[in-house]
Amino acid sequence: MRVRKGLSAVAVALVAALAATGCGGSDSGGSGKTTVTMWTYPVIFDEAKHRAHWDETIKAFQAANPDIEVKTEIFPWANRDQALATAIAGNKGPDVVYLIPDQLPKYARNIEPVDKYLDEATKSDLHENVVQSVSIDGKMMGAPILTSASTPICNKKVFAAVGETTYPTSWNDLLTLAPKFKAKGYDITAYVGDAKQTLNQTFYPLLWQAGGDVFSPDGKSVAFNSDAGKKALGFVKQLVDGGYVDKSLITAVPPIEQTRIAQNKVGCMWSTPVAEVEKFWGKENIQVVPHFTDTRQIGYGTVGSLSMLRNAKDKEAAGKWLAFATNAEQTKKYDLASGFFSPRKSTGPLFADDPVLGEQEKQVGASTVGPLHEKARDVQGVLSPEIQAALLGKKSVEQALDDAAKAAAPLLG
Amino acid sequence: MVALPGSRGRRVRRPSAREAGTALLFVLPFLLLFAVFRFGPAIAGVVLGFTDYTIGGETGFVGLENFRRLVDDPTFWSALRVTAVFTVLSVPLSMLASLGMAMLTRRAFRGAKLFRSIFFLPVVTSLVLAGVVFTWVFAEGGPWSRAMGAIGLPAGSWLADSVLVIPALVLVSVWSRFGYGMLILLARMQDIPAELEEAALTDGASAWQRFRYVTLPQLRPALFFVAIIETTVSFQVFDMIYVMTGGGPVRSSYSLVYLLYDQGFKYFDLGYASAVGVALFVMTIIVALIQRLTLGREE
Repeated sequence: MRVRKGLSAVAVALVAALAATGCGGSDSGGSGKTTVTMWTYPVIFDEAKHRAHWDETIKAFQAANPDIEVKTEIFPWANRDQALATAIAGNKGPDVVYLIPDQLPKYARNIEPVDKYLDEATKSDLHENVVQSVSIDGKMMGAPILTSASTPICNKKVFAAVGETTYPTSWNDLLTLAPKFKAKGYDITAYVGDAKQTLNQTFYPLLWQAGGDVFSPDGKSVAFNSDAGKKALGFVKQLVDGGYVDKSLITAVPPIEQTRIAQNKVGCMWSTPVAEVEKFWGKENIQVVPHFTDTRQIGYGTVGSLSMLRNAKDKEAAGKWLAFATNAEQTKKYDLASGFFSPRKSTGPLFADDPVLGEQEKQVGASTVGPLHEKARDVQGVLSPEIQAALLGKKSVEQALDDAAKAAAPLLG
Repeated sequence: MVALPGSRGRRVRRPSAREAGTALLFVLPFLLLFAVFRFGPAIAGVVLGFTDYTIGGETGFVGLENFRRLVDDPTFWSALRVTAVFTVLSVPLSMLASLGMAMLTRRAFRGAKLFRSIFFLPVVTSLVLAGVVFTWVFAEGGPWSRAMGAIGLPAGSWLADSVLVIPALVLVSVWSRFGYGMLILLARMQDIPAELEEAALTDGASAWQRFRYVTLPQLRPALFFVAIIETTVSFQVFDMIYVMTGGGPVRSSYSLVYLLYDQGFKYFDLGYASAVGVALFVMTIIVALIQRLTLGREE
């Protein structure tokens, strides 16, 4: 009897505990205030500075909107999709989240378009390519707050050691310089072929430079096995077969300090951000060059935006917040603090005096965010191993791209 | 279950209802947690395998479609092959290493405890951290490739070789796992009555014969346990591969859990990812049953 009573007590306690934990929502809480939650990531590397930016922005926002409380959480970049997807699936996602175009198609069904929350002046102030980069089916899936340009960067120290004073601007330049670098024990560049690496930063820039694209214009089939694709992969293979790049990076990416890039043995990189090499090369040794050219001069860049999730508790409040957080004034502050570039025309160049960022900023217009296709990531999943196969000599360039296209076909229905 | 020596034939008193109730009360919190956080998600995972569930989309019942897709998916078969080869190589090697180290450290010699602790250290070391270190060890020009070169073998990076990548990963896995098996076997060895070995010694049995006919049969239940655990862990190999090879080169180390991860968290095709999980679960059960019939059978 006592046991039964005890069991009942335990059951009641557990139910009460579960009920208590289940009641941890984040809306008004009876105070008459609405709470907007926002998830973001270390866009500003220094967490204290990043936190201070949002605290200050929230304070300014609340002066005009005293009934809306904003809570921001800064998560690490690593596994962010895993955390966000799980939270959305469990209906515990934030109201507003920082996303880049690569993520937008996959979350499109969970995103509330932001067009109606941004006024016409804002929309016309945004660069045309920026608006396109965050639009799916003609609807803006996020309010842009920053842009970037992953331009090639060259190591002045390496060029000095090789005795070169001109920096490459095209594939031809790279191929011409490559033997000279090799003879002196340096690599002209590096190709990172690890499957975890996004092709947006590795292979696709070459594909675009050769005049090709990942998908056909209607998005119903892939187009990377075109002549342009074969030319782009052929170019990388030429670098690999000639011994002009570190072959080990084709299959695995060790921490950067273990690579020849960090050891000042690589001339130029188009897939590595400035922040990653700065401490090994020294900022004074970084030479930014325009996106490389073959038939087109183009490269990768991204657009960071604040998106509202469809399950946002109070869409009006969330809309007011994201419009405020991405207005011209806040955007400028954020971009200056983070070292990214403005998506707006009215702010003008932000880093004209900075020899590195200033040069990269000039390339924003020549940058693209990559395909906004629902199956873009899935297609990368089948293409990456085939690129490795071609570079390791297991398949010809043509065979590898055709096999990848065959594997991609069922994904696109 | 396998009966422990000495337990056979012993009369077991049935507990009273009150005793059983009290015992249940103590078990209840764990049972609830297990049901909520293990059993529930596992059942949900199986159910999802029959749907086209994806984040935020409409979810519909698709019957066996995901499993049909699995059968037609060359990536699934390649991941299955990688997982099977990895398991076939790593489980016996890990068990051998565990057994060897347990034999070496079973005696109470000076420093035995220190050695046991050192051998156990890799088990509590983060696999991600170990992966980063071993990526360097196996890199071209790293210690491993230099050692291979010194003995006249090809000095390239094993991680970049589609044939040698699995043996390299197996070595890391054995390094990280053998300490756990060693501890289980060591505990069982301490339990083997000393008289058995003494009797064998008196009968003139050699060291090998004592190991083969006295120690090994006594270790059977523990070996069965270690085999089951090692097989399960090997079937689920992921983090180490993610860090060291990213599934490459050319999918030579792309395991089933890697496929599941990509489908679930990269492509958000959770229905298909769940189907991969169900297939993995079924395979693990089948292999465990086979092990039960061979290693785990009662004498």
